[in-house]
Amino acid sequence: MRIGTIFLGLTAFIAHSLLAHSAWSNELPSDFAVNPSAVNMTLEPKVVVNSGRLEWIPFQRDLTVWPSLSYEDKRPTPKARKVTLEGPLNGDPVRGRELALSRDKGYCVICHELPGEAWPGTVGALLLKFKKHNYPSELVFQQIFDSRVFNPNSYMPPYGTFGILNEQEIRDLVAYLQSLD
Amino acid sequence: MKRTFIPVLMLLAGITQAQAEAPYREYDPMENYLPHVRGDMQLSGSYKYWKDPKNLDWRMAGNPEENWKLNWKFMDPPFNASVHGGHFAADRGESIFQELNKTGRFAACLGAKKGNLKGLRTRYPMVRADLNHVAGLEEVIERCAAKEGRVLQNGSYDNSAVSVYVASQSTGSPININVTSPGPLKAAFERGRKLFHTRVGRSNLACSSCHTHQIGLHLRGTVVTTPYGDAAHFPVYRTRYQLQSLHLRFAECNLATRTQPLLPGSRPYTDIEVFLTGLSNGYPVSVPSERD
Repeated sequence: MRIGTIFLGLTAFIAHSLLAHSAWSNELPSDFAVNPSAVNMTLEPKVVVNSGRLEWIPFQRDLTVWPSLSYEDKRPTPKARKVTLEGPLNGDPVRGRELALSRDKGYCVICHELPGEAWPGTVGALLLKFKKHNYPSELVFQQIFDSRVFNPNSYMPPYGTFGILNEQEIRDLVAYLQSLD
Repeated sequence: MKRTFIPVLMLLAGITQAQAEAPYREYDPMENYLPHVRGDMQLSGSYKYWKDPKNLDWRMAGNPEENWKLNWKFMDPPFNASVHGGHFAADRGESIFQELNKTGRFAACLGAKKGNLKGLRTRYPMVRADLNHVAGLEEVIERCAAKEGRVLQNGSYDNSAVSVYVASQSTGSPININVTSPGPLKAAFERGRKLFHTRVGRSNLACSSCHTHQIGLHLRGTVVTTPYGDAAHFPVYRTRYQLQSLHLRFAECNLATRTQPLLPGSRPYTDIEVFLTGLSNGYPVSVPSERD
């Protein structure tokens, strides 16, 4: 089961890398701040004091794969996806906590209060003592994968649909939340 | 287990299918915005604390739980009387301006009447017949400097420095752009309003996801503030960026929410600038200013 997950994850990653770049082969929006020949195309502005030229430095990750504000960007926003949690949860709560705090993964703490973390966000619901709600794991899995299924105006990022987290990572997060008592 | 990966693959497949017409986008609930700074009283209600920039409550400014209610105006002149990088930028901008304006053509190109810069910033962004579109001050500075043979790229330090100098000549004068009469400026305001509510990027967030619907709440150590009155202090001195134009601020916002940033002077950024400047109508230009 786990080998299957890794294989599928790898396939998705390769497909992601290939499609992400081939998608823009001839039609990169002209107002994107990018270096088209770089692996990570996205650039970040760098202001140089006493200079009439604006410098650009590579950003830590490629952001061209998601819809942008450009009027030339004609890719549709991925719609809400309903998913089912199959088999036992099989999540690692320790890894789940790491993901919840990682800036580049879940980063749940930017909006939600989690135990043991100073300066939590107050935008999202409290996650302290999450276990007491007795939410079914299927529901929590769907909420993280794509919360728009429950509320079209939800501000929570669709972690699964947008490929921010893979299935096992969402399972780990669900296991972590279900362990908070 | 396979089934849950299908959505990811479908997303990736969807990316390759570039559609000719307007693509599917999600919008936060669209709000009615009053194109005047007092419209904040219907949104966050914090305007009453910062509407008089001279007389802010210094106790509120010193309280991290409350200072968001001042919309960071305690870092604007005249309340903030300290000398900071924005003043050095204004000096640099003044010397570049004088060099470029020896014939008076540069000021005229920017739109100054009889070379007088007072009040010029309050009328930007404006419709520029020569460009055939609505343009922000920095885009016009780049173009007018090029006519004088000098490269001042939009977003560069020197471009923003000239913008700071020009804006500082209007400090204290209320922003006044007409986004209600039919015309290109109103159309740009409406496009900007729509963009402000358009969800984009890796996290599927719109500007308004936080700045309309979560004002006063924490995102970790940051407290979300109102979009009203926010365009009045740009370009701004930032410790991290030295000097930041409004369009570079948008790029920073985009990067922070993991969205592909656009070039300064691009149409979408200019439209959002018009929208935010409309929400600053009636609020005094506050330059040079600083932010963290």
